[in-house]
Amino acid sequence: MNYTKETLRNALAAEYVLGTLRGGARRRYQQLMMTSQLISETTWLWEQYLNGMGETISPVTPDDKVWKVIQEKLGFIEQAPKVTQLDEARQQKSNKWRGPALYAFAASLLLAIVWTSIDPILTQPASQIAVVNDEDSNPLWLIEISDKHLRVRSTQQLTAVAGKDFELWIVPENGAAPISLGVLPKDGELKTPAANSLKSVPILLLAVSLEPLGGSPNGQPTEVLYTTKLIKV
Amino acid sequence: MEHEELFPLLCATAEGKKDAFASLYEKTSAQIYAVALKMLKRKELAEEATQDTFIKIWHGAASYQRSKGTVLTWMVSIVRYRALDLMRYHNIRNEVTLEPEIDLPRTSMPFPSAEKRRLAECIDGLEDPQRQAIHLAFYGGLSHQEVVQHLDSPLGTIKSWIRRGLQSLQRCLSL
Repeated sequence: MNYTKETLRNALAAEYVLGTLRGGARRRYQQLMMTSQLISETTWLWEQYLNGMGETISPVTPDDKVWKVIQEKLGFIEQAPKVTQLDEARQQKSNKWRGPALYAFAASLLLAIVWTSIDPILTQPASQIAVVNDEDSNPLWLIEISDKHLRVRSTQQLTAVAGKDFELWIVPENGAAPISLGVLPKDGELKTPAANSLKSVPILLLAVSLEPLGGSPNGQPTEVLYTTKLIKV
Repeated sequence: MEHEELFPLLCATAEGKKDAFASLYEKTSAQIYAVALKMLKRKELAEEATQDTFIKIWHGAASYQRSKGTVLTWMVSIVRYRALDLMRYHNIRNEVTLEPEIDLPRTSMPFPSAEKRRLAECIDGLEDPQRQAIHLAFYGGLSHQEVVQHLDSPLGTIKSWIRRGLQSLQRCLSL
């Protein structure tokens, strides 16, 4: 299909925003948005056209717990323990991530040192870096964090999994639920504004999970594949 | 809730200011939750969509651009996409009892902006079946097939109503 044709472009964008574009067609459209500025801009236009209708619904105040959960998930406040005591819960949470982390750390450190020495072309110096390795210590992604940006580069060692995406997570030091930093690139590089959580949440580890296309369906990692330590530089 | 009021709060949120984010939540959460509840019907899912939306707003405040609409429209876009994802994930089949006329903009917006007034006029100007089909899809999150069941018309007819309705809406809004 020729997506540069205005009529087709508008028809697809309108039905995407309305929600009637479903299944494979919806996923293909999301991929198109990632690669075409024109498609993205057409989508934004239709968001402006249609989503104003959402503002006409009578407001309904959510329960107070909604705000509490948001603050917990963002690491603003401690998460209330359910059965175990808080200290014990934290300990368990930390232990869950500790095994793979120790394994990944040594390899990351070595690669990070090599890598930073060969990568002087940064608009802003990275303050923290990490390397995500597979089980055989092959580096898959190189991650740089500066005050303003998160930059992720995939390596040629990375093999995409059909119908799946990889998602990057912060594992907070306080044992709170992991916080998503977004879907990782399967090739090339991705540069985005640094999420606030990178500055506001003490970070135990970064983790990469395998997810359905588009990222985690429920806001939590589906299958954790790798973890790595952030290294201050 | 005007864009002029929300935009500074969003800017401060992008700088990591938690009190601005809390104000943004206070001013907009009832609208965002209402959109989620209308689509998802189930309280726990609407709460989940609202939580995910504000977490995304905290992380992505800096990615807002005016070309994506007003701040509130942009936030509504985020919650609608999240609600559609949750509907798909939980395999929700929508059986709405929608009263299409209840949510017409003029009834719930006593002092709408010029943009919103125009949108309301253009939607009012659609043919009845077109407006009804678009309302069902937008407010209820219904698929083409679900709109078919609701309006008891063939799939081809429903698709045509929606497509032509959207085209008419664009022509009207571009005038």
